[in-house]
This record gives sequence, C-alpha cells and structure tokens, in this order.
Amino acid sequence: MNRTVMKKTMYFFAIPALVFYLIFWIFPILKLFQYSVTDYNGFSTDFNYIGLDNFKDLFASGTLGTSLWHTILYTVISVGLGNLIGLGLALMLNMNIRGKGFYRSISYIPTLFSAIVVGFIWSYVYMPDTGMITTLLSKIGFNTENINFLGNYSTALYSIIFVEIWKNIGTTMIIFLAGLQTVPKDLLEAGEIDGCGPWRLLRNIKLPLLATSVTINITLSLINGLKAFDFPFIMTSGGPGTSTNTLIFSIYKMAFTEQMFGKASALGILSFLFIMVITGIFVLNMNKREVSA
Amino acid sequence: MKARKSLWAGLTALILSASLLGGCGSSSNNEPAASNGNTADTGGSSAKPVTITLMMSGTKAPDGQDFVLDILPKLVKEKFPNVTLETSKYPDEQYITSVRTKLAAGQGPDIFLVFPRNASLAVNDMAKAGFTADLSDLTFLDNISTGAKEDMAYEGKQYAIPSGMDMLGVYYNQELFKQAGITEQPKDWPSFLEACQKLKDAGITPIVLGDKDPFFIQFGMYQIAANTVYPDDKEFDTKLQTGETSLTDPKWVKTVSMFKELYDKGYVIKNSLGLGSAQAAQNFIDGKAAMVFDGTWDYPTLTAKGASEFTRGFFALPANDAGKPTYIAAATSAGYAVNAKSENMDVAKEILNYWYDGQSDLFKEWVKSNTSISVYKDVPLNHELFKPVFDDYNNNGNSVYFPNQMWMTGVAEEMEAKFANIIGGQKTTPEEVTAAMDKKYKELAKSKK
Repeated sequence: MNRTVMKKTMYFFAIPALVFYLIFWIFPILKLFQYSVTDYNGFSTDFNYIGLDNFKDLFASGTLGTSLWHTILYTVISVGLGNLIGLGLALMLNMNIRGKGFYRSISYIPTLFSAIVVGFIWSYVYMPDTGMITTLLSKIGFNTENINFLGNYSTALYSIIFVEIWKNIGTTMIIFLAGLQTVPKDLLEAGEIDGCGPWRLLRNIKLPLLATSVTINITLSLINGLKAFDFPFIMTSGGPGTSTNTLIFSIYKMAFTEQMFGKASALGILSFLFIMVITGIFVLNMNKREVSA
Repeated sequence: MKARKSLWAGLTALILSASLLGGCGSSSNNEPAASNGNTADTGGSSAKPVTITLMMSGTKAPDGQDFVLDILPKLVKEKFPNVTLETSKYPDEQYITSVRTKLAAGQGPDIFLVFPRNASLAVNDMAKAGFTADLSDLTFLDNISTGAKEDMAYEGKQYAIPSGMDMLGVYYNQELFKQAGITEQPKDWPSFLEACQKLKDAGITPIVLGDKDPFFIQFGMYQIAANTVYPDDKEFDTKLQTGETSLTDPKWVKTVSMFKELYDKGYVIKNSLGLGSAQAAQNFIDGKAAMVFDGTWDYPTLTAKGASEFTRGFFALPANDAGKPTYIAAATSAGYAVNAKSENMDVAKEILNYWYDGQSDLFKEWVKSNTSISVYKDVPLNHELFKPVFDDYNNNGNSVYFPNQMWMTGVAEEMEAKFANIIGGQKTTPEEVTAAMDKKYKELAKSKK
C-alpha cells in the first residue's frame, strides 16, 4: 500500500472528532460572541440585539473594575507566593533528610482533595469565636474577639488566596522537585569545586536549569488564579458585600442568579481577552529564559 | 488505481463505523420503552403504560425515605399500575435553570414546582408564557385557603397548587429572656430594642445572624419591611412595576436604617459576617445567643438538641410603632404546576387529584413530610411553637408576603451585598443601599422586556 495515500486516508478518521470539537466547543464559543450583543436571558428564544450596550453597562457599573482588581490581586499573590513557597518546599524535600518520602507525601495531600472539601474545612478553620485559629489563639492568651477572617472586608480576599495557595502548593512542589532531579550532579560538583556556596549554587546553577519548571508552574498558577471561582463561591459567596467577587464569579452571578446571559457573555468575552493577553505575554517572555544543561 | 482503492477502503471503514455508532444509539433508545411495556403487563392493567416526570427543588431527606424520591412514585404506582412516575430533585439554582431550559426546548417535565407570584420561575411568568396548564378543574381546590390559592393564580385561573405557608419570625430562648429580666414579650420596636439592651447589659448576645450566607439578611429585612413599607401601602410593588414609586422610597430607607440600628447598637453578634446559617443555628441551640431571625421551615434545625437545654419561643419581629399591630412576614410556599404542553395532562391531573384528596395514604404521607404550615382544610398546625403567631395570622390577617416574591431575581442579592457593607463597617448609608436596589431593579426590568 502506498504510504502517502494511507496517511491522507487517515485524515478522514479525524473528522468525527473534529465535528464534535466544532459543535460542542468552537460553536458555543462563537455563540457567546453573538449573545454578548443581545439581551438574551438564558432560556427565552426571543431576544433583541442591543449593540454594545452590555459592554457600555459593564464599564459604567463598576462591576468590571472591582472584579478585575480582585482577580489581579488574587493572581499576583497566588502566583508569587505559591511559587516561592513551592520552590522552597521542593528544595527542602530534595535534601537528604530522614523520612523524605513521608514529608513529600503529606505536602502533596492537600492537592488530592476537591475544592469543595478544602473550602468547607477552611470555613471552619477560619470561623470566628469557635474556629480552629481563634481557638488556638485564645488558648495562648490572645484577644480573638475581633478576628473574623472571612467576614472582614480587608481580610476576606487574602484568606481565600491563602487557601488557594495551600491547595495548589503540592502541584507546584512536585513540578519543581521533578525539575531538580534533572539538574546534573557533575555541574553541581563542578560548582562546589569552584567554590560556590549553597546560595550561588541555587542562583547560578539550579535556578537557570529549573527555568522550564518555572515556566510551567507560573503559567499553570497564572491561569488558575485568573479563572478563580471555586473558593469565592464555596467559602464566601463573593462576600462580604462584593469584596471577593472575581471575574468568573461575577459572570456566574450575572448569568445564573440575575439571568442576564447577554451581559454575562459580554463579561465572559472581556475576561477571555484579558486572560489570553496576560498568559500570552508571560509565556512568550519566559520561553526566552529557558536554558538546557 | 491502487491508491484509489485504499482511499475507498478508508471511506467505507469510516461509514461503517459511523453506522455502527448510529446503531448503538437507536438500540439503547429502544430499551427503556420495552421495559416500560413489561412493567405495565405485570401490573395487569389494560390501560396503556404512561411515564410522568416530576421535577422539584430541594435536597434529599437526610434519613429514611424521601417523600418525593421514594414514597410518591411507589404510592402512585399502587394506585395507577400503568403509570410510572419519575421524580427528581435539584438544588435550588440549578433547578430554576434546568426547568427553564427544558421548558424552552419543549421538553419540560409533566409536573414541576413553581414559586408564588412574581419571583423567578413563578406563577405569573410561567402562566403568561403559556408554560403551565390551567388547573381550575381539579377537584380538591375548595379545601385550600383562598389567600394561598390567590398567590398561585394568574388572571383568576389556578395555575399551581400551593403546598403550604411559611412565616418569618424570631426564635428566642425563654430562659435567657428571664435571666435578663424581660418579663413581657416585646410588642413594638421600642420595647424590642429595650429587650435587646437588657440582654446586652446582662452579658448575653441578643441576636445571632448567619450573614456569611447573604440570604440570611432577608430574614430580618423582610420582617421590618412588612411593618414599615406595606401596612399603609399594600400596592407598593404594583406601583413599583408601573414606575409610580421606586425602591428609594423613604419607607425602604427607614427599613434599612432600622435593621442597621440593631447592628450599630451591638445587638447582633459581632462577626456575623463570618458565620454561616448552620453556624448561627448552632450558636442559638447552644444557648450562646438569645434570638435568631429565621423562617418556620428551619424548625428542625433550630429545635435540635444543642449544648444547652432551654424552652424556645417564637414571635414575629415587632418592627411596628407603639400602638400599631405587628405585621407578620408570611408567604405561600412553592407548589406544583402541570406542564401545558404535557402529552399526558389528564393523567397528571388525576395523580394530583389523588394526591391532595384529603384522605388517601399518599395525602397522609405528604402531610407528614411537609415542612411548611398547612393551608389545607382540617390539617392541624405541625408545630405548637408557631401557634401564637399562626393564630394572630388567622384572626387578624395582618401579614405581608416576602418582598422578593415581587422582584426579579438579583434585587434581593444586591440588597444583601450592599447591606453587608453596612455590617462590615464600610460607611455605606441606608440611602445607598436602596439606591443600589433601585438601580438593579430597573436594570433587570429593562432586560426583561
């Protein structure tokens, strides 16, 4: 049988998958663009085209501004701290300590739970008066009367971000740990012979060789942060007030509570563009920094 | 030539596999129909087998048999051997979305739960859109109280069966009241504030609220509104729809201010924004707070055994001025409607006639499982605790529905979010809360047209 023809025939087998992909993935996304210029309410089949009113309303109402700002805060902090802590953990767990396997396992455990479980557990940890943290603090003599992590406007968002970091640290750590295994021993030895201390070994040998892991980790946590929804939804319902409304949470609320699918689609498109641009910039920038051993 | 051949071979293989897939689809479609036929045969009925679908919102009963999921289909099968009733329960928000989508696609369930008046998925909208069938010919309607029926009617026709009534009120701890030296149950707003002050002075947290669940804010707000917005103006919400009045009305500002007063004076537990509804209930049953604002539907939770043993009491929040009667926030609970496009509408109506006939086993089971206060003739009040308020409701008729039953979904949520600002000390004024509610109301009204 002719090889080239065989190859061409194979393309036909991609058609079913392609058709499904187009119908269930690409077509709905295009529909979103259509809905964003209508007053569609999610179920009624008659709706009107209202031009760019949805977008204008979004910019005028301040919903976009607040939820965008919360999302950016969420992302910056969870990417920054998450990766620093993850790297720190990976470096520690890469050392020759007793019970290494045990420590590696327990730092990965939070990742295994679903967001619902984690959110629920942490709601109790954060609870005022009888929660875990307040109980501990009051046992050692602190006044815990005014401690209210999730109910306070200035702490709610950060408390949630902390849970996000706690949950995802395992993944970050594992990727760094895997990256560290690929750092060649001879390079490290050469560095030591040349008189590098631990800091310079890290700075000049390990980190440059970890660049691929850094790219993966930052991109993953970036996307994770930009589409933050689970924890605001489970732990605070976006509250108190709107202080933990993220972009995706606002879209959800608009579409499913207020039944303004049109406007929610418009917000969806804006966040889609926003997430794409930010991720694009990061990935392109970081690909340049990667080196190989 | 050879090349051509293999191309054809490939195409044939593709088509074959496609038709195979198609075959799978149709054969699996046939199966349930066949098994339905069998069940009808064993039932020994000559009538043709029918499947009726029923959808409702809520969660499965925590223990034992769930009425809708387990008992109802079984008892219907006993009475009508040829009828298979398929029931399903969804969480509230998913329920509304999925029923709407199904109805819009022409594949709605035969029987489904709708809400009173004008809320989302409520009678007015559903009847106007022609989704629900006229049920005025059901045989048992005379046994249901008129007020409840009216909330489920549209233009004089009955479109759904009210399954009961719910009231908002204040559950209180009688021992803590005595301890603080409160001898008389407060009858108006000044005496209510006085009672709160006495509790506070005695070192007791007067009120616990679970404001971390934003809906909890409604429990206080609607009881106050029932006494400030509506007594002199029963048509307020109708005027709201026509644009004659707005939610920025001074009466609503007063409502928000009065609720704010409870927080400002420190009568509501500190950190209420950090407590969910379950945690608030726990505080109450553990005897850590003297009062909680909640609805009659939460009776099981609030009378559960906690760390402290005490006698419960229940009264309507007296947000009225001295010398005026207290209005009760009471509303008809959701009830069943029949799909206007159902192919088996007669069977569905027959089932309902049997279900609500007042004597069948099915009716008795339903009464047992119903958490709402009955609006059905001769069914006794389910809990003694509610008797004083319920008697007051029956004798004086001073009651107002929950305002959100006349709002589009989204207005109450806006009110909750903005009022949370006040609780959280964000320097939001009551005027700003009502302005935000009004803005959201108008925005949603615009998009609804």
